[in-house]
Amino acid sequence: MTNVAISGINAVDNPGPGVGVIKSIKKKDKNTKIIGLAYDAMEPGVYMDWLTDKVFIMPYPSEGETPFINRLLYIKESCGLDAIIPTLDAELPLFIANGEKLGSFGICTFLPTKEQFRLRAKDRLSDLAQSIGLKVPESRTVTSYEELTKAINEMKFPVMIKGVFYKAYKAFNYQEATSYFNKIVSEWGYPVIVQKVVAGEEMNVVGVGDGEGGDFGMVGIKKLWITSLGKIWTGVTVKHEEMLRTAKNFVKEFNWKGAFELECIVSDDGIYLIEINPRFPAWIYFATGVGINLPERLLSAALGKEPERASNYEPGKLYIRFTDDFVTDMEIFQKIVTRGER
Amino acid sequence: MKQRYEKPTIFKLHTGLMNKFGSFAYPLSRRVRTEIDSIPIKELIEQFGTPLFVFSEKKLRQKFKEIKNAFTTRYPNVEFTWSYKTNYLDAICAILHNEGETAEVVSEFEYEKARRLGVPGEQIIFNGPYKPKKILKTAITEGARINIDTFEEINDLEEVAESIGIKPKVGIRLNMDTGIHPQWSRFGFNLESGQALDAIKRISYGKHLELSGLHCHIGTFILEPKAYETEIKKMVEFAYRIEDEFGFKIEYIDIGGGFPSRSKLKGIYLPPEIAIPSINEIADRISSALLSSLRPGDFPKLIIESGRAIVDEAGYLITQIHATKRLPDGRKGYILDAGVNTLFTAFWYHFNIEIDKNITGPSEPCILYGPLCMNIDVVDDLAYLPPLPRGTNLILSPVGAYNVTQWMQFIRYRPNVILIGKNGEIDLIREMENIEDIVRREHLPERLTLRKEQ
Amino acid sequence: MGKLGRLAINSEGFIFDPETGNSYTINKTGLFILNLLKEEKKTEEIIEKLTEEYDIDREEAMRDITDFIEQLRLFGLINAEEYND
Repeated sequence: MTNVAISGINAVDNPGPGVGVIKSIKKKDKNTKIIGLAYDAMEPGVYMDWLTDKVFIMPYPSEGETPFINRLLYIKESCGLDAIIPTLDAELPLFIANGEKLGSFGICTFLPTKEQFRLRAKDRLSDLAQSIGLKVPESRTVTSYEELTKAINEMKFPVMIKGVFYKAYKAFNYQEATSYFNKIVSEWGYPVIVQKVVAGEEMNVVGVGDGEGGDFGMVGIKKLWITSLGKIWTGVTVKHEEMLRTAKNFVKEFNWKGAFELECIVSDDGIYLIEINPRFPAWIYFATGVGINLPERLLSAALGKEPERASNYEPGKLYIRFTDDFVTDMEIFQKIVTRGER
Repeated sequence: MKQRYEKPTIFKLHTGLMNKFGSFAYPLSRRVRTEIDSIPIKELIEQFGTPLFVFSEKKLRQKFKEIKNAFTTRYPNVEFTWSYKTNYLDAICAILHNEGETAEVVSEFEYEKARRLGVPGEQIIFNGPYKPKKILKTAITEGARINIDTFEEINDLEEVAESIGIKPKVGIRLNMDTGIHPQWSRFGFNLESGQALDAIKRISYGKHLELSGLHCHIGTFILEPKAYETEIKKMVEFAYRIEDEFGFKIEYIDIGGGFPSRSKLKGIYLPPEIAIPSINEIADRISSALLSSLRPGDFPKLIIESGRAIVDEAGYLITQIHATKRLPDGRKGYILDAGVNTLFTAFWYHFNIEIDKNITGPSEPCILYGPLCMNIDVVDDLAYLPPLPRGTNLILSPVGAYNVTQWMQFIRYRPNVILIGKNGEIDLIREMENIEDIVRREHLPERLTLRKEQ
Repeated sequence: MGKLGRLAINSEGFIFDPETGNSYTINKTGLFILNLLKEEKKTEEIIEKLTEEYDIDREEAMRDITDFIEQLRLFGLINAEEYND
């Protein structure tokens, strides 16, 4: 039996990808033991005991490398741990830097290299886009009000205000722009990115690179309805040949290893690259639902097995997200706050 | 037998803050330090009191050697120059000069301090936007290398050079876009706008100065090694343009410093061990950029002005808890005997906080206040510590850079600074101030003297 | 005893207040003092019991009890005028 730890089990209004990843892995083999990694006792995944067999609270990555790694080793010791699929941007640098070390303790990962991770940093995206033939919306890195105002004056409203790790807001006036700027700085620090808004179809590709230029499958989708936080609520699979070709190109050009999501805007004058996420997106179960179980394939690859590579999905399949709820008693909550695990 | 005591605590649980190991870091990230370089903290305090700055000679030499090795194994002609402003205590400078560093100074005071220590003029690099003519004269006469910052300085230098009949070798400082924000554009001459070229034309036309070097310093605490690559490429390209068009031979390329130390800069989310590029990575970028853009057989001197990256982690501050306070929002406040008067860098960094003994109990959010009767005196606005009794000593680090130079004699005296030698010697390298140090330069007019009433 | 009586406290130091819906965690010493407060013991008695049971001097015990009661007051678990002796 395999024990897999998965983070991002915060299935809230801005959901982490963890629950989708877990559903995918359970779909392939419901006996795989899932260890949820949470950063707060209130993350819904902590209470979804039909998906997570065990849950551990993790120290924040910002607390430092040692407590984080020690916690993982403690989990390994207390209930066994064969592989980890991290899904949150802020924890990825730590996992990437310690991939080898974790491997030596028998904890497998399948992640991009440090160079690959840095390549797609938001402030360096335009170089990358150019090298695979994509456009990028005009953008500026800013660290002060003065630079923010200057950037906006050059681009005109509306603009996107983005943090280096998380958060992207559309601002229609200076007041909004400065308030989003402050919000991002207070939570995630400098720099902040100001980006021009490009009109077109929002399309995404999710896939897993094998690290040697090939891939373990890809799925292209279009967002039909997004929430006020910019999260997909309904979507449809598409086969936009040029976009899929570009995604293949990206994997080949950089020998991308691990999960990725290309966020694009397809407009009349070409494809714009908005962002590359070095992990699965929160809607990853969409790919699984159309027959391309990317989390399961990534897990196989992490464990040293050769996964399937086919990408033969049907366009026109719909993704519907919905809200659900359940009732539980205080026992799990008590355990998680007093012991940090359940 | 009585039970071991742990201070009573009660925490209210808030959604978003319910992380037993994140905020209430227990006991994973709790750190205890009972000694520095094998010398017990207790012993140091007994002898020198608190607050107390402690420097480790071992660490200082080790950090320098790391940087030296990183560069000298990759490029054949490197000079390391000690950035005085990061720490100009005699003992610290002497160690680094002993390791082979020259001196990088930015004022007449620093220049005089380096000379007084025995550094010859030709081993001084003189930078900065304000260099009065008097010290320029001394610097030229003694053969120091001067990096020019303004057009006015070109005039001043020519005037001084002519008056003493020496044609000095000089460098100019450049500023440029390397993709780093904010861009430091206030020092030197801008490359992209053509200002730097104008400065070269001006020097060439004046005929009193021999341009022999380029200097640039792109910023401080640079986390992006690629920026150095851009800096080097632009500097080398410009150097060859100068050689080809004006006939000056550029003998040195001084790339400044700005290499980060492992301290936690406020506003950076990731922990330093992840966010901060290694010195090897930086050196690799710099050397390969140099080797790929230089002409065959040409190896101008690469000058590295590292300060923080060498001394920061060699310095600790021991400070004692004087009192505790419960704030109206429920947080715990501690009043320490060292504040922003001694720890100037508290405005930008979160220090590592270590406790001098093992104290049990869950960590709680707390604020560390300094001893000043001033609202701004906050050493850390959010730390997680177990409930600590009065008299507990905290060891803050890294504090070796910019604190013992930017500290203020404000409200309190500046504390003792000691050095632990490589063989465990303990030396007082700067004595705590007393009232005499502070009033020595004051003059009370006779008519204002207070007299006892008859 | 006031509000303290209604609290549900488990042995691992988890406290739930059924009236407000707030939850708390408390350590062993905190629980020790809380139980004495529930029995309406005076501060002087609590100091005595604490120093008997634990390896702690009177001065520190007094400071810590004052601080602990201040916290309970901030959380609204005891009234402002209670335990002011």
